[in-house]
Amino acid sequence: MSSRAAPKRTPQVSVRKIEPDFCEFVLSDTDPSVANALRRVMLSEVPTLAIDLVEIEVNTTVLNDEFIAHRLGLIPLVSQRVWDFTGAYDTNDDDENALMDIVFQMDVKCTGDDTLDVTSNDLQLDPSFPDIHPVAYSTGPQDAQAEKGVLLVKLRKGQHLKLKAIARKGIGKDHAKWQPVATVAFQYMPDIRINHALMDTLSEEQKLQWIQSSPNPVFRLNPVTAQVEVVDAEAYRYDGEVIAKAKALGKEGLVNITPRQDMFIFRVEGTGAMATQQIVVAAIDVLLRKLDTLQQSLASADAAMDMDGL
Amino acid sequence: MVSRNDYAVTFSVKDEDHTLANPVRFMLNKNPHVSFTGYSITHPAEKVVNFRIQTTGEMTSVDAFRQSLNGVTDVCKHIKAQLAAECTSFQASAGTSMEA
Repeated sequence: MSSRAAPKRTPQVSVRKIEPDFCEFVLSDTDPSVANALRRVMLSEVPTLAIDLVEIEVNTTVLNDEFIAHRLGLIPLVSQRVWDFTGAYDTNDDDENALMDIVFQMDVKCTGDDTLDVTSNDLQLDPSFPDIHPVAYSTGPQDAQAEKGVLLVKLRKGQHLKLKAIARKGIGKDHAKWQPVATVAFQYMPDIRINHALMDTLSEEQKLQWIQSSPNPVFRLNPVTAQVEVVDAEAYRYDGEVIAKAKALGKEGLVNITPRQDMFIFRVEGTGAMATQQIVVAAIDVLLRKLDTLQQSLASADAAMDMDGL
Repeated sequence: MVSRNDYAVTFSVKDEDHTLANPVRFMLNKNPHVSFTGYSITHPAEKVVNFRIQTTGEMTSVDAFRQSLNGVTDVCKHIKAQLAAECTSFQASAGTSMEA
């Protein structure tokens, strides 16, 4: 923190993997505070849609009303259109036309002798928003091939569940059901320095022993040079096993491993509500909006101070 | 804003937390005209960050604060542009490898 080097304002990003529900990228040339801000925003401040209010008309299932309402809330909804909506807790300027509620209906009764699974596929979509639906939603005949949806409750013969569920925009800070990610984490890239002078004092057998003490394959013995090399620095889990082993061999300082403070491996696991790369972009947008708001309020506070003659 | 002089100011930022305060403090610490900066969240239930900025006198605290906000904004914009470019090239290469 005391270093006054020129601030790193041009971080580098390199994408490693993009899948619908997963993405991995490396953010480098920046500070942990920036990486952490990005992580925190993805977790708790990127808005999504989720069921927020449930009106139960008939419930003769084995689960109580609150239990079912909670399970409904946790179903991820495809939230591509979340930006068109206003959250119920947002301080808006009473815009009459603000979109707020998406109303789903559900009416399931078990008439057969077999147990009936009630899933997210039994939700009837809001006719005004046919593109807002639970993840893996399908209404066709439920054969083995079709997506099964998220199981809510099982019904016995004669049991009946009828309800109205209202979905709204919200953020993870208010309730975890609005989190767009299952997990998001960053790993510090380890900086591994082997003390080769000390390493050379080990016998080949000791070197192998030491290499094998790492639970993940990080090092290898080069068969040609008989030197220990790093094969996969990222596989190191900061477990300290190799450091403990070096100590046990009486060779403290054999290897020095420090987490790099300027390179972070991000792994984002989505819930299906949004594509993972979209979540990252949305998180940056949220951060930018925060900064802009603060910038403006700083300007107005500064002006107010000048008027007071402070 | 609470202040006796322009070069040592405590800002009270409402509805923000570590998410924003930490990178802003990082930027301020990189500013050679800032002699001291720090923030504290006095109570976890209160959504207020108290930000202290003292400068060496070449620059007012408000300007230092503004500069650091611009700095973090630049970083965010840069990451966004980098990410967009990387995603496009990643998808382009994924597309060609699928065809091959």
